[in-house]
Amino acid sequence: MSIAIPASISSRRIPVLPKRGQISWFEIVLLVISLGLVVSGIAPSLQDVILLSFLFAGLGLAWNIAGGYAGLISFGHSAFFGVGAYTSTILLLRYDISPWIGIWVGALIAAVFGSILALICARLRGPFFILSTLAFAEVVRIGALNWSSLTGGPEGLSIPPMASLAGMVFASKATYAALMLGYLVFVYGITKGLEASRFGYYLFAIRDNDDAASAAGVNPLLGRTAAMALSAALTGVGGSLFAQYFLYLDPTYVISPELSFQFALLPAVGGLGTAIGPVLGSFLITPLSELLRSHLGNAAAGLHLVIYSFGLIVVMLYFPAGLAGALNKLTRWKPFS
Amino acid sequence: MSTLLEVRHVSRSFHTTTAVDDISFAVQPGELLGLIGPNGAGKSTLFNLIAGVLPPSAGQILFDGKPVTGWKSHDIARIGIARTFQIPKPYRQLSVVENVMLSAFLREKSLAGARKLAETTLADVGLADYSGAPANSLTVGLLKRLEVARALAMRPKLVLFDEIMAGLTPTEVGVMTGFVAGLPARGITVIWVEHVLYAIMKTATRMVVINRGKLIAEGAPAVMARDPAVVKAYLGEEMVLA
Repeated sequence: MSIAIPASISSRRIPVLPKRGQISWFEIVLLVISLGLVVSGIAPSLQDVILLSFLFAGLGLAWNIAGGYAGLISFGHSAFFGVGAYTSTILLLRYDISPWIGIWVGALIAAVFGSILALICARLRGPFFILSTLAFAEVVRIGALNWSSLTGGPEGLSIPPMASLAGMVFASKATYAALMLGYLVFVYGITKGLEASRFGYYLFAIRDNDDAASAAGVNPLLGRTAAMALSAALTGVGGSLFAQYFLYLDPTYVISPELSFQFALLPAVGGLGTAIGPVLGSFLITPLSELLRSHLGNAAAGLHLVIYSFGLIVVMLYFPAGLAGALNKLTRWKPFS
Repeated sequence: MSTLLEVRHVSRSFHTTTAVDDISFAVQPGELLGLIGPNGAGKSTLFNLIAGVLPPSAGQILFDGKPVTGWKSHDIARIGIARTFQIPKPYRQLSVVENVMLSAFLREKSLAGARKLAETTLADVGLADYSGAPANSLTVGLLKRLEVARALAMRPKLVLFDEIMAGLTPTEVGVMTGFVAGLPARGITVIWVEHVLYAIMKTATRMVVINRGKLIAEGAPAVMARDPAVVKAYLGEEMVLA
């Protein structure tokens, strides 16, 4: 689903199933189907679900750069999502700066937040690191709640619902779906590029063994900080897009542990440290949670969470390497080859 | 030729224990220096001080005449000192060749170039057949060879080998010993910590013996095997070299 085919490997045969650093037929077909869903305008009632699946796939991919590739399991990524969303929205409402520019400013500020988190937690590992990321997001959330002059505090901020291209507000959901698919393809391209780069290998090394990486001349702190900054920046972009679609922001929703867990969950279900993983995770989980919520939300409050959690347990039990891992197992009993 | 590595009055204490106590020695280019001593003598601590894993509590370390005391290990790696780990530390989720590529990146910035250097180095240590295998599928003996390959792919001036023979079969020890003996001729100076004494005694050009954090003897392997202090501290009985 990417456009960035590294020159050195594009000359080889295209594999059927996803491979690290290479574009496969599977990804091309998935992209064509996704484009088809956007362009054809099939099932208008499902357009919300489709565009959210795209957005969350992108967000899962962004999280995966830190969590899957660099081994920095974070439950605080909603802080970066919130920083991105608030930055572009504040720039738009206060200074009339187009979100097309504001998004990148938000990404930059989110990257700064990401670097700060990585440096604060430099010496922490495992559960200690995870808990610190949770706490970090809480600090950002409480900061946003109380700095009312900037963020509007608990009342939040609203973007006027006037459709305009410069304002990045659209009347049709199909346009939003195209925008979110563009975001997904963008983050996917960066992920694939990372897989085929020296920097990507540095991250694998730092994730798998800090001491060995350091003995090979890799600076682990620098690698971790860069990975977290990149991951945060891309998450921030997703936050801005979300704000432009939802047209309303408040700290309790955009900076919440629930959202942070969601970002981590999609790659975990789809396959940590793979490019296709977060996409498969989102295409499965996002529609499931949206549909369950809308169908069961009123009849039996909370029941959708029960079904949802049960599904997760099944995936974790039977596909510990995620959906991407299950996909790779297919190669073993392929009738041809 | 000028001294490659100089360790000057280096000490390292952990709380009340002094693991390395005022050790001084020098290594000339092209040497194959054996570093031996009983368990807990401070060999690994000394290695970690040279490799930048730990800063010394006192003393100085010079490499190529330049003070490198207290440098971080990634900076030490970049100036040409490679090391292996006593307990292998592979990148478990990567393939064997990718493990070596990460070291090769120090010399070859492109992926293709690094892969080529890694493949050559793997062939050198007899791991060519395992190039594509996942690192976590290797046996201990193969992991030790992977450690050696990773160190050599950095094209170091000085390599620190930390018990690369432990867990190898006698045949493997023979092959590895011959391989290590050939390194100085290729411009790689070696400091080698080893418990498999017959291997190191046969190969080393010079030995340094430490016990309880102190350097107790220094000289040719054959002389060391008869040095009363060494025999008392470590060997227990006189060694007869073939």
